[in-house]
This record gives sequence, C-alpha cells and structure tokens, in this order.
Amino acid sequence: MLAHIVFLCLFQQPDTPASLQKQAVEIIEKNCLKCHGTGKIRGGLRLTDKKSLAMGGETGPVIDVKNPASGLLWKAIEYDELQMPPSGKLSDTDRKILRDWISAGAPLPDIKAVAHPAEPVKPKLEDAKTYWAYQPVKAVKPPASSIPDGGNPIDAFLQIRLGKAGLVMNPQADKRVLLRRVTYDLTGLPPSPAQVEAYLKDTSPDAYTHLVDRLLASPAYGERWGRHWLDVVRYAETNGYERDGPKPNAFRYRDYVIRSFNADKPYNQFVREQLAGDEIDPDNGDALTATGFYRLGIWDDEPADRLQATFDEYDDIVATTAQAFLGMTMNCARCHDHKIDPIPQSDYYRLLAFFADIPRFSNDRNVMSSTSQRDVTPKAKRMAYEKELEERNRQKEALATAIIALEDTIIKRMPAEDQRASEGLDRPLVVKKLKDFQKPEEGKELRNLRQQRDRLEKLPTPSQELALAINQCNPRPPATHLLVRGNPHSRGPEVSAGFPVALGGGTPVIPDVGPQSRSAGRRKVLADWVASPDNPLTARVWVNRLWQHHMGRGIVSSSNDFGKFGTAPTHPELLDWLAGELIRQGWHTKSLHRVILHSNAYRMSSQVNPQALAKDPSNHLYWRYPMRRLAAEEVRDSILRVSGRLQSEMHGPSVYPPIPREVLAGQSVPGSGWPTSTDDQANRRSVYVHVKRSLQLPVLAHHDQADTDTSCPVRHTTTVPSQALGMINGQFNNEQAGFLARRLESEHPGDTRAQVRRALWLTTQREPMPSEVDADIAYLGELVRRGLAPGEALRQLCLTDLAANEFIYLD
Amino acid sequence: MDESRQFCGRTRRDFLWNTGAGFPAIALSGLLGDQFFAKATRAADGTPLGNPLAPKKPMGEAKAKSVIFLFMYGGPSHMDTFDYKPALYPLDGKTIPVKTFGRGGHRAGGRAVGPKWQFKPGGQCGKMISDVFPNLRERADDIAFIHSFHAESPIHGSAMLMMNSGRLLSGHPALGSWVNYGLGSVNENMPGFVVMLDKTGGPISGAKNWSSGYMPAAYQGNILRATTPSINDLSLAPGMTPANQRHLLDRLAEKNQAHHLSRVDNSELAARLSSFELAYRMQSTAPQVADFSQEDARTHAMYGIDRPRTEDFGRKCLLARRLVERGVRFIQIYSGGAHNDDNWDAHSDIVSNHSKHAGNTDLPIAGLLADLKRRGLLDSTLVVWGGEFGRQPTAEYAQGSGRDHNAYGFTMWMAGGGIKGGTSVGATDELGAAAVEDRFHVKNLHATVLNRLGLDPNNLSYFYGGLDQKLVGVEGADPIRKILV
Repeated sequence: MLAHIVFLCLFQQPDTPASLQKQAVEIIEKNCLKCHGTGKIRGGLRLTDKKSLAMGGETGPVIDVKNPASGLLWKAIEYDELQMPPSGKLSDTDRKILRDWISAGAPLPDIKAVAHPAEPVKPKLEDAKTYWAYQPVKAVKPPASSIPDGGNPIDAFLQIRLGKAGLVMNPQADKRVLLRRVTYDLTGLPPSPAQVEAYLKDTSPDAYTHLVDRLLASPAYGERWGRHWLDVVRYAETNGYERDGPKPNAFRYRDYVIRSFNADKPYNQFVREQLAGDEIDPDNGDALTATGFYRLGIWDDEPADRLQATFDEYDDIVATTAQAFLGMTMNCARCHDHKIDPIPQSDYYRLLAFFADIPRFSNDRNVMSSTSQRDVTPKAKRMAYEKELEERNRQKEALATAIIALEDTIIKRMPAEDQRASEGLDRPLVVKKLKDFQKPEEGKELRNLRQQRDRLEKLPTPSQELALAINQCNPRPPATHLLVRGNPHSRGPEVSAGFPVALGGGTPVIPDVGPQSRSAGRRKVLADWVASPDNPLTARVWVNRLWQHHMGRGIVSSSNDFGKFGTAPTHPELLDWLAGELIRQGWHTKSLHRVILHSNAYRMSSQVNPQALAKDPSNHLYWRYPMRRLAAEEVRDSILRVSGRLQSEMHGPSVYPPIPREVLAGQSVPGSGWPTSTDDQANRRSVYVHVKRSLQLPVLAHHDQADTDTSCPVRHTTTVPSQALGMINGQFNNEQAGFLARRLESEHPGDTRAQVRRALWLTTQREPMPSEVDADIAYLGELVRRGLAPGEALRQLCLTDLAANEFIYLD
Repeated sequence: MDESRQFCGRTRRDFLWNTGAGFPAIALSGLLGDQFFAKATRAADGTPLGNPLAPKKPMGEAKAKSVIFLFMYGGPSHMDTFDYKPALYPLDGKTIPVKTFGRGGHRAGGRAVGPKWQFKPGGQCGKMISDVFPNLRERADDIAFIHSFHAESPIHGSAMLMMNSGRLLSGHPALGSWVNYGLGSVNENMPGFVVMLDKTGGPISGAKNWSSGYMPAAYQGNILRATTPSINDLSLAPGMTPANQRHLLDRLAEKNQAHHLSRVDNSELAARLSSFELAYRMQSTAPQVADFSQEDARTHAMYGIDRPRTEDFGRKCLLARRLVERGVRFIQIYSGGAHNDDNWDAHSDIVSNHSKHAGNTDLPIAGLLADLKRRGLLDSTLVVWGGEFGRQPTAEYAQGSGRDHNAYGFTMWMAGGGIKGGTSVGATDELGAAAVEDRFHVKNLHATVLNRLGLDPNNLSYFYGGLDQKLVGVEGADPIRKILV
C-alpha cells in the first residue's frame, strides 16, 4: 500500500525530487505529528498521509494548489494568522523546505497507518426538514377529552401525559396561597394585608379573574416582567473590562421595556422595535430607544486587536439576537459549522450581515459616543429646544463678534508684526499679549464678554433627551465575509444577508438605499421575518418564557436553546397551542398570562403527593405546582416593602443603594462608579438599581442575580452560607429589621402581641397561629430579661421573620 | 434521559458528571464539621441537584490537591527578575530596533533599558536569578521556570481576564471556579475558591477576575482577608451579642422547622435551614483559620510577618498555607492592587517599582515554599507565580527606566505538586522581547494546573450557550510536559 501511494505520488509529481519529500516528512514527523498524527488530533487535521492532508482540517483544506502561499499550512508555518508549530517558529531552512514542498504539490507518503473513519458526522441540513422546532407551529386543537371543571385547554393537554402515567393533578391551592403566588408572579411583591383581607372576603365567582386583572394593570407588573426580559438581553449599564465605564442613558431602554410590558405592547411589535425601531418608526422616541438592545453588551474600550474587538461586538449581537428571539445558538457557528444543529458557518455570517450597518459602540474611549447616543426628544419638545438652541447660538455669535471687534481695537495699538499675525493662525498668541496694550476698562469689558460666552457654552443642551441606542448607522456598509475559523484577519468568501437555512434560508430582498437613508435597511427585513407569525420559533420561544416564569420551568427547559443540544419539549402540543394562541390574541402577552393563570395547573397546590413524587420526582408532568425561592430582586424588594421603606417611584436614572466598604474594597478604586444615593432613592425597587458589571449589591448577588455578560435565560438557585451570613449579620437586613420594628411600634404602640402578629402577617400573609405568636412573645421576653431594650429585642425578632423560609419561599 | 442529571435547565449536560456519572462523593472526616455548601442547589427548571461542591474523584492521577496562585498584578519584568539577559546590559541607553506592542501601541524600536539588577546563580541547579529576589533565589531547586509564555493582549483588563479565565472577554469562569467544578471542595466549612487582595485595593475589573461566569455562584471566588473579619458579613451586627445570636438562630430554626414540616420533600428548604447553622459555625471556624497565635515565632519569621515591610504579604502567604491544610482547593493572592505603581505596572521607574513589590513579597514567598516543604505539603500543593504579562526591553518614555507591557514573551514559575524543581524551559530572544523557543500560551499554564490536579484540560467541560465550554477553549491545550515530574 505504502509503495503504491508513493508510486502514485511520484507518478503525479514526476519532477518532485524525492529528497524534498523526504526532508519534508522528517520535519513533519519531528514537529507536527504530536498533534496531527494518530493520537489526539488538533483541529481535525492529520498529516499522516496524502488522503488526510487532502481532506484538511475542521476548517477545510490546508493546501492551496493554485496559490500555495494562501494555503493555511503555508501561512501557519510562517506565523501568519495561525502560528504552527505553537512551540516556536521553524528555522528558516526548515520553512523553506516546507514551502518548496507545498509549492511542489505537497506529496506525502503514508507516514503512519491510519484508518479513515467514514465521513465525520456532520449536522445534515436535511435534519432541518424534520426537526420539530423548525417546523411551522401546528394548528393544534385542545384534546377532545373534556376540559376539567374550572380549568382550561392547558389542563386538557397536561392531563394526557398525567393520565398515561396514572397521575392526577393536585387539588387547587387555597385562596391565600394562590393570592401570594400570583401576586409575586405578576408584580414581584407580596400582597399587602389589606389586599389579602379584601381578596379572602370576595366570594364572587370571578374574584380570581378580578385579581388577575388588577395585578396585570398594576405598574409593578412591568417592573417584574421587564426584569425577566432584561435578563435575556444581558441588560447592564456599564461596559465591563478595565474601566467598566458607564453606558450613559441606558436607563431609557430599561424604562422602555417596563412601559412596553405595562402597555401590553404586542410582542411582535416589541421585537421589531428592538431590532429595527430606527428604520420602522424613526420619529418615535420609543422605537429609537428600543435599539438600545444592540448596545447593552460588554465593550472593550482599549482592545489589543481592534478588528477582533469589532467582531466580538458583532458576535454579542448575533448570539443575543438568535438566543433571545429564536432560541438558536447561532454563536456556535462563528468558527465552524454547528456541531449538531443544521447551522452552517455561513449562516452565522449571513445573519451578521443584517447588522453590518451598526457602527462600533464608540470609536475611541469616549463612552458618550455619537454612534451610541441618540436624540429621542419628543417632537414638540424638540421644536421648543431647537428654538432655544437657535437663540443661544445667535447670542454666542453676537458675543463672538463683539469680542473680536474689541480685540481688534486693541490689536491696532500693537507692533505691525503682531497686527499681521493676528490675521492668521497665530491670532491666539497675539491675543495673549493684549493685556499690555489694553485700557483697564477694555480689559474689564473683554473679561465680561468672555465670561458670558463661556457660560453659554457650558449650558447643557436644553431639554434634550438622549438614549443609549444605535446612531449614525452606515447606509452602505462594507461587504460581509465569512471569517475562516472565526478569525477576522482571515477573510473567506463574501456573503450577503440571509436567513438560516434551517428555517428555509433564502436571501431576502433588501430595499435600495436612497440618498436620505440613515441605515442599510436590512434590519427591518430581519425584524419583519423574526416577528412574522410564520416564523416557527419566535412565538414558541416567547410563550415558553412566559410558561417558564409562571410554572417554574419552560416546556423547553433550555429556553434559549431550542436546538438539539437543548431539551426536548415535555408537552410539544401544548407549546404549539400556546404559540398559536399568542398569535390569535394579537401577540398580546397579557392575554397569554390570563390563559396560563386561569388553568387549574397554575392554581393547584404545591403539596407533596407521595405516589406522584415516586413516579415523577422532578414534576415533569406537572402533577403539582412547583415551589420556588424568591428571585434576588423579589427578596430585596419584599424586605423593603415589609419594612415600609420601599419607594414606588418609577422610571428614570438608576439609583445606587449603599454597598458595605468591605465589598467596595474589591474594586481597583474603591467606590468608583458608585455614587451612593440618598435614602429615598436608594430604597426604590431593585429593577432601578444601577447594573454595574463589576459590582453588585450583596443582597442581590447572594440570591443569584443574573450574570450580565451574556444572555441569561434561567436563573440559578443556590443556597450558600454567604446568604445566611448576610441575612443575620449583613448591614442591609439589620437596618431593615430596625425599620420594621419601628413600623410595628408605631402601628401598634405598646401592644407586643399585636406587633408580633403584624410582623408575621406582613411576611407570610396568613393568620398567625397562637402558638407561634406565644413563642415569639416568649422570645422577646427572654431578650428583655437579658437586658435588651424592648425596641432592640423587637428588631432582633424582625430579623428572624425576614430570614424565615416562609418569607423567602412561595408555595 | 435521566432527569436527575439536569442542571439549571439551561442544558441537560451541565452537571452530567457531577450528579449522575458515577463519581461517588468521598466522605472526608476530621474536617470542620458540616458542609459549607448546603445540600441543595436547585436547577431553575425544578430539578433538585446535589451539592455542587461535593468532593469528586479526579479524572486521572492527581499530583496536587490545592493551588496557590501568587498573582503579580501589573506585569512584572522578566528581564529584571528571572529571565537573565546578559546581552541587554551593554545596550542600556542605546536605540535598538525591536518589535514591541504595549499600552503605547506597536513600535519598531526604542531606547534599551538594561536590566537594573545583577543576576547570580541560586540553588544546586545554579539558576541565574536577579538580586531583586535574594530569598527566592535560595529556593531555585524547588522551582520550574517557564520563560516562554505569550498571551493575546498587552492591556491589563483583558490580559487579566485571559490569565484568570482563559478568555479576553468577561463572562467565563475563573481557573479557581473550574478547579472547584472539577474536584469539588473537601472543606465543608470554607469556600473552595479564595481570593486575597492587595491592601491598596482590588485589581482592574475587580470581581470579574474571580467570577464563576456562566457557572453557578457556588464556584465563584470569595474574598478572604488575613485580618479580622476575614469574610464579608462575618462579624456580628451592631447590637448583637454571641448569646443573643444563638438565641435568634434557635428561634429562626423553630420557625423554619415548623414551615418545613408540611414540605418535607423539599430538600432546598432543609438546606437553607441548615445554612444558618453553617454560617454560625463559620463565625468561629473562619477566624480560627486566620488566628496565627498557634504558629511559632520561627514560622512568623519565615514569612516575614515580624517585619513591617513583609508583614502584610507574609500574613496572606501563611493564611494560604493554613487554608491548604484545611483542604481549600484554590487560593489566589494578589501582590499589587489599584493602579499605576501600587502594582507591578512599572511605566516610569522600574527600580523603585520592582524594589518595592519584590521587596514586599520575596521573603514571604520564599518562606511559603520552605514552610510547605518542611511540612510535607509542597508535594501536594501547586504554587504558581506570575502576572498577566511581562515587560519590554525598551523604555516607554524619553526619560526614565520604565518599561511598557509585553505579551509577546514573559516568565512565570511553578513549584510543588508534580512539578520538577530546578528546571527551566523555553526562552525569549536575547533581548527578552518575545518568546522564541518552546513557546507556551496562557492556556498551557491552565492545562498544566488542571493536569496536576488530575483533571483532563481537554475533557473538563461545562455545557453552556450551546457549546461544551472548556477552560482551554475548543482547540484544547497540553500541559507543559517538560516541567512535570
């Protein structure tokens, strides 16, 4: 066999001196086969025989027959793009031998015997034709089996699998439990005692419906559900990296999200605005603010490799867009075809091409770059301030004229060369000398005029509202290329904007760019495609997120990944029915909330049923409602609500609650970027707390606040002693326990029993049992007996109520 | 699919080999009692998990159990410390052609700055080491020097992330997180990943350098101080006494038990209940770790704790040894913090800057190596020394001896568990400008650390964002075999 191949090679390359091949083989054996031999293979490339060499590696051929110097192997040994061997550049002599060898067609005998496996298993594009997530949303009818009493189609879908497993749904949770559950789910806050009482008293058949309507109409709804979306879009207000500098006016995007949820903006519109608000509705401040979506990622203001950084920024956009809206991990195809999903590498760059008109966050270190700040002032206001600006500019001009005239008067007294110099670029030097020639009253007047001018220049632009957004897009962006191995310095073939082949592919028609165009018009095309009812993923991905936040886990539990590496849907028909329902209901998210919240499944008890637990311990079939711990923001907001300190002010620039000095000490400049807010501002809801990538409030960090560097589809729930230490020793909890104690004293002065009962009411929303009230009173008595002032004893009791599982967990 | 293998709902494979792939938890007795990490971490998809930090068997043979990473933040100069460049001395002050890339951008040449210290041989191996490290020179036989590292960025922020997490971009777990993910923690009363900061402050990017990124927070680095209180929120709040805190926790436990009674199947509630007891015990165990009163005067002297100059770093090194004794997996100590000359970032005057930082750390680090050795701990403890990059052979400014950053070539050293002492591998060119021989990427350092701990760098993976993420990246990396025992 060996002889045969050698013979063939020699036959094909008759003029190749055998000695060249021999020398090349020696170099390869010595330097390359450790990683490209028969053992562990790097980059999928073997240099053991001609066939392997011809097949190339994961990124394709390594020999370019026509242009030998463009081949990857050639470049790699020259340390151009790739550096091979990594341990050090080969000697000049060795490199010359290999270059000559490559130029001669790279003849190679079998250095080592290798068995060639069948073609490597690659994702097949045909898979796209059968894989469930890429098929159109099925028009599903609820199962013919009857919808249970008081329930809705959701229950009929769930009962099919439950029935097969011999399981039944738990009975309905009691009214109080349900009130607490749904209030937290929709607003992130506990119900007030008055709300509990009113709801328990309301025995009308539609009491629950009214409750849901009231909660959905509450402004707190947008604050809770907006936060879920902010997790998905990696919302943060700083850029990360060395300086972790601010993203000015990012809060407007956060407010846009909260307002969109509160207004029940159709989800398809919400999607379109974020992807292409500037192209769809350029005069609408909200739509422009929505494009802040593109600006939320990490940004390196001092990259070692600018081009690499530019494509890292695009990668952030491609990855987030595909995961957030489509549940696709397109980011896996940046360097090579997706390992398992039918996403070829070209799809990644075709998607990237839609975003090619978006300029870098900033072209220098300035975080206030005009490429990422956009004027979103409402039209009427803008007209007013434009008038103001005009007037101001007029004044500035008048002042400038007066200053020059007065200077000229003085300059006329100066020597001729100065007079001449004053007419050119050197005028500032001449002006510096004026004081030797001016009369005192002239000097005074000049100072006065200059002060007026300086004051005008320092005035902020009147009433102008800037938002973090994309700005100054490039209507005619340069061509997008596939990047070999994802390396921006290694351009492959040009690609044009196109949709993933798994979803039918196609190269859309992009409208021509006119002279007035402020962008390339591609993103609107993408937005329309994503937000189309025919897109198989968009509606499914969104209803799955809604389900996840209501039912503890998505029907597809990997809610950012509907691909093969993700998890299969537990209830595919239900998912399709919900997706269809969303579209039928005009993409109104609140309508979907109502559907889910009115199912028996949502309203059932979380109590354990031992037989069901044995059969389905992880509750995949939904035989009970899953208990959950409050999310980080809910923990902090609830503590503030109970202590009476929570401020309900909505929207606006973010706030900076105090952070203990020992935590700030972890910063390179302790306290930098954290101008602690005044009390009232500090006590606003957590969604308004400044999101600084390198610094978190301890109470939020302890409770698994989202990591903001990439999209966060699901929060972890971890239990670590640092949470417990914070609960009993932390500054925040101890202060809030004090406020709660004072609240109790002022609401029930001198009545210990009432105070104790009230604290339990506020934290559990249920009627306290006499035994626990007695135990709390005994606890206080013991503390007072030990010499504690009653106020401090009460404060310590409050600490137990704020740390209790019943407060932090929902049934 | 086995549902119990699910973790966090992001993926189905995240925790495969933690929970279901047959790695039995190793019961370790004689430690400080109950667990640091309570039993339950719940996936957000509703699946209860095991303890994410339960001890796991290494994937292969482990030479080391713990790592002490001495991070010389700012970038120490290799040609003034461990990388002897005799050819550079006579060039001092002369303009030379040399390709550099630092904060000042790409340059093709500049004024050479000769090494500012003399080098002398140390140990049996005769390793040439600069006078700036007279004590470490005596330990040369314990140390393997790697002179041929190169990194991808000469800018602090991204270079720090590269050295700590293998990526220029934040959001990825730190080396210490990977170690704890791979091995779990055998100390149940202390965090498995501990970070000690310089007294001047944290490094650039702060907590991003010890973040667990997309992994659960259980794997992130915890700040520990060599003073009291050593851990955040460890001290009693104003108005609280130890007795009353006990009383409080008892009442809290009653409330939590009453609540748990009708929810007994929920292990998360039980875990949270017991986490308060763990926290309570940490208040006494953590200060014990930082209580040096049982250490004799000789030990104090070894670490330089008896001298004002070296006391601070010496305390941290001694604390590191005490943490190693208690089974803490990964300890990172920063020399240098904040900005400019508060760390090794010697842009204007290499002599004053490095005299200061080397002077603060030389004796403590030499003491740490000696102390670990005499206690038989060096064999199972991997000590790593280095910064995020090295420095250039040429001056940055027209005046002065400051050097700009250099990611083209720099030196790091390792000692202890499974490392061949008294060896040197790789080389930079004769000026120290770039690694030319046996070049190693930062990933090779990470691969070496994981390999010594019995973890396979090319197979230790965590599924996130549609990919099997690895510390050493998709292309993988080999350990530096020439320094392995």
